[in-house]
Amino acid sequence: MKRGRAKAGGRAGAAAVAALALGLSMAACSATGPASIMGQQTLRIGVKADQPGLGLRLPDGGFAGFDVDVARYVAAKLGVHPDHITFVPVTSATRETALENGSVDMVFATYSITPQRETKVTFGGPYYVAHQDTMVRAGDTAIHSVHDLKGKRLCAVTGSNSWKRVTQQLNIAAILAPAASYSSCVAMLTDGRTDAVSTDDLILAGFAARAGPAVRIVNAPFSYERYGIGIRKGDLSGCEAVNKAVSQMYLDGTAAALLQKWFGKTRLQLDTHVPQFEGCG
Amino acid sequence: MPSQEPRRWRPVGRFRRLGLQTTPGRIRALAVVAVLAIGGFYIVANVAVGNARDGLRVIGHDAGPQVLATGDLYFALGDMDSQVASILLTGREHGLGARQQALRRYAQDRATANRAALQAAELSAGDPTDQAAVRSILDGLGQYERLASQAMVLDEQANHPAGPPPPNVIAVYRQATDLMTLELLPPAYNLTLEGGATVREAYAAKHSAVLSGRLWVALAGLAVIAALVAMQFFVAARFRRRLNPALAVATLGLLLLTILAVRLLSDEAAHLQAAKTSGFDSILTMARARAISNSLHADQSRFLLDPGRADTYSLAYLDKSQTVLYVASGNLGEYHTALGTAMKAYGANPRDVGFLGFYGDEARAHPGPAVTAVLSRFQQFQTDDQRIRQLAGAGQDRQAVMLLTGRTAGSSGYDFDQYDQAVVSLIGQHRGTFDQTIRAGDRELGRSVLGNWAGLLPLAALVAAVLVVAGVWARLAEYR
Repeated sequence: MKRGRAKAGGRAGAAAVAALALGLSMAACSATGPASIMGQQTLRIGVKADQPGLGLRLPDGGFAGFDVDVARYVAAKLGVHPDHITFVPVTSATRETALENGSVDMVFATYSITPQRETKVTFGGPYYVAHQDTMVRAGDTAIHSVHDLKGKRLCAVTGSNSWKRVTQQLNIAAILAPAASYSSCVAMLTDGRTDAVSTDDLILAGFAARAGPAVRIVNAPFSYERYGIGIRKGDLSGCEAVNKAVSQMYLDGTAAALLQKWFGKTRLQLDTHVPQFEGCG
Repeated sequence: MPSQEPRRWRPVGRFRRLGLQTTPGRIRALAVVAVLAIGGFYIVANVAVGNARDGLRVIGHDAGPQVLATGDLYFALGDMDSQVASILLTGREHGLGARQQALRRYAQDRATANRAALQAAELSAGDPTDQAAVRSILDGLGQYERLASQAMVLDEQANHPAGPPPPNVIAVYRQATDLMTLELLPPAYNLTLEGGATVREAYAAKHSAVLSGRLWVALAGLAVIAALVAMQFFVAARFRRRLNPALAVATLGLLLLTILAVRLLSDEAAHLQAAKTSGFDSILTMARARAISNSLHADQSRFLLDPGRADTYSLAYLDKSQTVLYVASGNLGEYHTALGTAMKAYGANPRDVGFLGFYGDEARAHPGPAVTAVLSRFQQFQTDDQRIRQLAGAGQDRQAVMLLTGRTAGSSGYDFDQYDQAVVSLIGQHRGTFDQTIRAGDRELGRSVLGNWAGLLPLAALVAAVLVVAGVWARLAEYR
């Protein structure tokens, strides 16, 4: 296309006009490339439906939580009216597919940026950096750190990276107890089908508040979990716009207010500085 | 109906009012058209040349240098923290020689950080958000230095052997390193990324604007020439003269100007493209790779220094290693093995890039000895890491610290510096290409056959218009 234009530019008028027409038709074609979140009137945003404090479906069908509020803020900065956002429930196992097949435009679902996932998804953010910790039954006094999970049953959510951190990356020989979501994990923990739930402190804090004195967080964090905004692979302008929005969210105090709103009552140390972005390329 | 007749005759009436039914009227009209076309040509060419100039300014003089300055800032800051960790790990064993070197380097890094921050602040003049970010880094740096000195003083007092310092030292170091990694480094890295985003946007807009500008310049030039030739024929036919010299000179001049402008815009588009794809993109990739490498090197020291956070730091080390060079692997042990396999295949055939991440991109985009050097030194550094972790796992902290903090051949510290130098020299190579293309673009914009393009365009348009008027003036005079 470039070469075609170059020749025509120096030649006779007819050729130039032909090149102009070609240029216009090429410009029209490029709009059919990978869809960007930029310039959309409406957005479908994937959030968790069963994680209190982060993404939880309400009885009226709406969604509430830190992730949901951050998603609303970012969508507003992208120029999307709050009424034009559709929240779509996703699970740890469906996040990549939902982005790839276009059933959601963005994912805000305690979605840790990992090099493996980056081979399939472009990540804006992180908008927060959480830390993996471990939750056990309140009466269990044998587990003080992740290393004590050796030989214990550890809940493993399909599609989640958390159990891989324990059994693969840290090579701790825990026995995996498969589950579909962290809400099932917590149920399994309280009724004795698993000994531990190990995942991000923000997720555990929400469940611990709900489960009350039945459970205990061991408070031995052992990783950085960078919560990314999943968008379709290659949407660079979308990724850059999302990063700009996250920067603004920290600058204008919204991030601090939202963290306080959702996690102010927990023991968590909340970090209100803009995180180091992953970068879009 | 009487109204029928005037309606039918109205166009003729207009024609008559413009005087187009007479020869002088037609000449005047043709002259007006030609002068307007010249004006149009001037506007189109001016916009296109302006786009080229803007593109070069943003990519070559604002965002490009910003990426380099903030990259240096990140490295210097991160390296300060690495050096503090080395000092604390060495403890009382000054004989290892690492302590003096680390202190010297800490001071150097401090100076580099200051210089780079000032440069970044200058480059972000006019952007209050960016300037605030640079200011907050400098403010935080003062606080970091206080905490770091406090940790070093406590460490001296503790008088411990090489290895992890006592808990009171670790507690202060944690405050320092958290300040560094949560408050100082992120804005520096984000500024680098922002420079990259600015360049990508400017390039997308300006490169295509220059190309479409070139097309419009060609069309406008042809329109002017067509108008002048039409005048030439009309005048020749009406006045039975072979050639109107003023019009002929204007026609030839415009033809030359159109060709030169089209060529200039082609060259500028090519310079923008080369600066972006052969220079800038790799500078950004490598600046990011250098920043993340620096940060994973610090995680290696922190892993030895702070046993309470050993898991956190080794997981971060793995994540960052995979960001720099990705090979599928479940843990660090698997990563080291997979890296060895991938490097072996790459060594046998440099087209076989069986890895992703920053170095995957770079090895695919710019294969050559400079990338190979970076990769082999990265692998050497990772091999050292494996040994450090084996020693630490076997309880041989002193040996692990010696290997980590040493600056002589065979130590990990030395190998890291070698690796970093290879990265710096690769960045330098891309920077050479980048500076060269930007300079070439600036030079051609500034220099035309008759001087500066910014001055040439209005002057040429004015002269052409004067020639057109002069060319018809004498003919019109015959009617007075």
